[in-house]
Amino acid sequence: MIVSLKDGFKLIGISIMACCAVCVCNMFLNFQIDLRSVANQVEAGPAQALYDAFVSTSIVCCACCGGCMLITSVVMLFFYIKHYIDSHSREIGILKAHGYSNFRISRGFAIFAISILVGCLAGYLLSFAIMPLFYEKQNDNNLLPHIPMNIHWYMIVLLIIVPTVVFAFIAIGYSVIKLNQPTINLLKGITKQKDKYTDGKDKKNFVSEMRSSVLKSRKTLVFFMILSSFCFSSMIQMSASMDELASDMMGIMILIIGIVLAFTTFYIALTTVIHANQKNIAMMRVFGYSAMECKRSVLDCYRIPAYIGFAIGTAYQFGLLKVMVTVVFADVEGVPDYHFDWPMFFITLVAFIVIYEGAMFIYGYLMKKIPLKQIMDE
Amino acid sequence: MIEIKNITKYYGKGESRFKALDDVSMNIKDGEFLVILGASGSGKSTFLNVISGLETLDDGEVIYNEEHLEKMNEKELTKFRRDNVAFIFQQYYLLPHLNVEKNVKMGADLGDKDYLKYIEAVGLHDKRKKHPSELSGGEQQRVAIARALSKKPRVLFLDEPTGALDEKTGRSVLDYIIKLQEKEKFTMIMVTHNANIAETADRTIKMNSGKIVDIYDNLNKKSAYEIGW
Repeated sequence: MIVSLKDGFKLIGISIMACCAVCVCNMFLNFQIDLRSVANQVEAGPAQALYDAFVSTSIVCCACCGGCMLITSVVMLFFYIKHYIDSHSREIGILKAHGYSNFRISRGFAIFAISILVGCLAGYLLSFAIMPLFYEKQNDNNLLPHIPMNIHWYMIVLLIIVPTVVFAFIAIGYSVIKLNQPTINLLKGITKQKDKYTDGKDKKNFVSEMRSSVLKSRKTLVFFMILSSFCFSSMIQMSASMDELASDMMGIMILIIGIVLAFTTFYIALTTVIHANQKNIAMMRVFGYSAMECKRSVLDCYRIPAYIGFAIGTAYQFGLLKVMVTVVFADVEGVPDYHFDWPMFFITLVAFIVIYEGAMFIYGYLMKKIPLKQIMDE
Repeated sequence: MIEIKNITKYYGKGESRFKALDDVSMNIKDGEFLVILGASGSGKSTFLNVISGLETLDDGEVIYNEEHLEKMNEKELTKFRRDNVAFIFQQYYLLPHLNVEKNVKMGADLGDKDYLKYIEAVGLHDKRKKHPSELSGGEQQRVAIARALSKKPRVLFLDEPTGALDEKTGRSVLDYIIKLQEKEKFTMIMVTHNANIAETADRTIKMNSGKIVDIYDNLNKKSAYEIGW
């Protein structure tokens, strides 16, 4: 077996994502189911409006947070599988050379679903730890009747077993597709890549060439970088801007999820790109390129995607809150109009610049510490 | 002139600490082709890494025209490597995602910007858009040579440059490097375990257990095609 249980447990990013997704979804779905069970006790007027708003909000939160994190988890899974196949191409090539079929090798990748199982289980348990406080805060003005907190066992199937099985199948399917390449290419570590034919007229310097090559060779990381800044920008601005639209609890939850998502994806993207380019960086340093030039060639290509992600996140949170106010809460009385929060935008932008550029500076500094000869001897 | 004075290098810690280089001293003249000969574990590669600034030394001095390597910090060492030296390794260490042109550009950007003439010189003009994995071992080593020479180094360090090549390719690569050194007059320091290759150099040093055990001038230099393999 080429993929071991240990490899499955290494996918910590997927586990964190699954944990957050299941925690949020279980909390809101559980709350909605329990809320519906007291529907006939809800009085007409403000209580009914609040009931309707809660039902709608639960669906929106589940779809936005759960859906967003689900997509991210699937992309992360694809990324990990591709990365695994790239870094173990020789071993996989040997198996294929000995007659193992793509499907037989791919079956091993089902073990990657263990990360989903661990994350979902942790998220499910975590949601029950937060739920009593969540129920209390949601109904702290006592407009609604007492909402009993029940455990709905079928949610275990829906939020733990189904995602694990689905992810196992996705892992097998995707790896079958990725393994569908000539055995000799796997043995030699040949990856499909076409360069623009320059015929010596290209005036780009080496650092720029390296930068575009890094960007092209790791497209998934561009997605992670955009997602990371998107989450940071949208969730932080949203949590601060919705103080008049939702409870503090909701704001804090969105803030925490945003930060967890942003930093997990950011960390994965940065560490992967540095790890994948360690030998290249070492070789550049051997030839006399400075740590700053190495950083420019390997990390700077992600700056523009990161700022694009920030801009998309800003637009997304504004659009989402505007739609919630004008469409979802259209029939609810007393909901204030929503306007773009410029001060919060600038605060978030400054925080983003400080964190992003600070992290890049630290990683640039860490590049100086890459031991040259040791890496080349590996 | 490279002056090497009493250099010592240790590896490991505690009981496993051992001396890889033991009080080694010698001078290397500008434009000289020096071969460092020795068996595996004799300290020849450590010697090369230390005098090229890839590794720090624990004691002694390495002086390049009055510049002391042992006194340089990481930033100064990087600048020193940038301005003075280039490397060719047994394992080539080409950047796998970049084609031949771009790999050579890595050296050329720090030296002679006209990188195409180096690709032509090593006979890879037709393969300049290929990636390293699409080339044979000999071709990859020729890319590494072009990359190193395009940097216009004052000193070229070679660590077993023909070690991974078959005889025919090895001879052709060695012949090309020697001719270029004679033409360009840069200092060339090559590590090898192949005693035959030493016959092509101006001078040979033999190492054993971290010490120089013999130094001799080659009065009858041979070409790459005249030596045994």
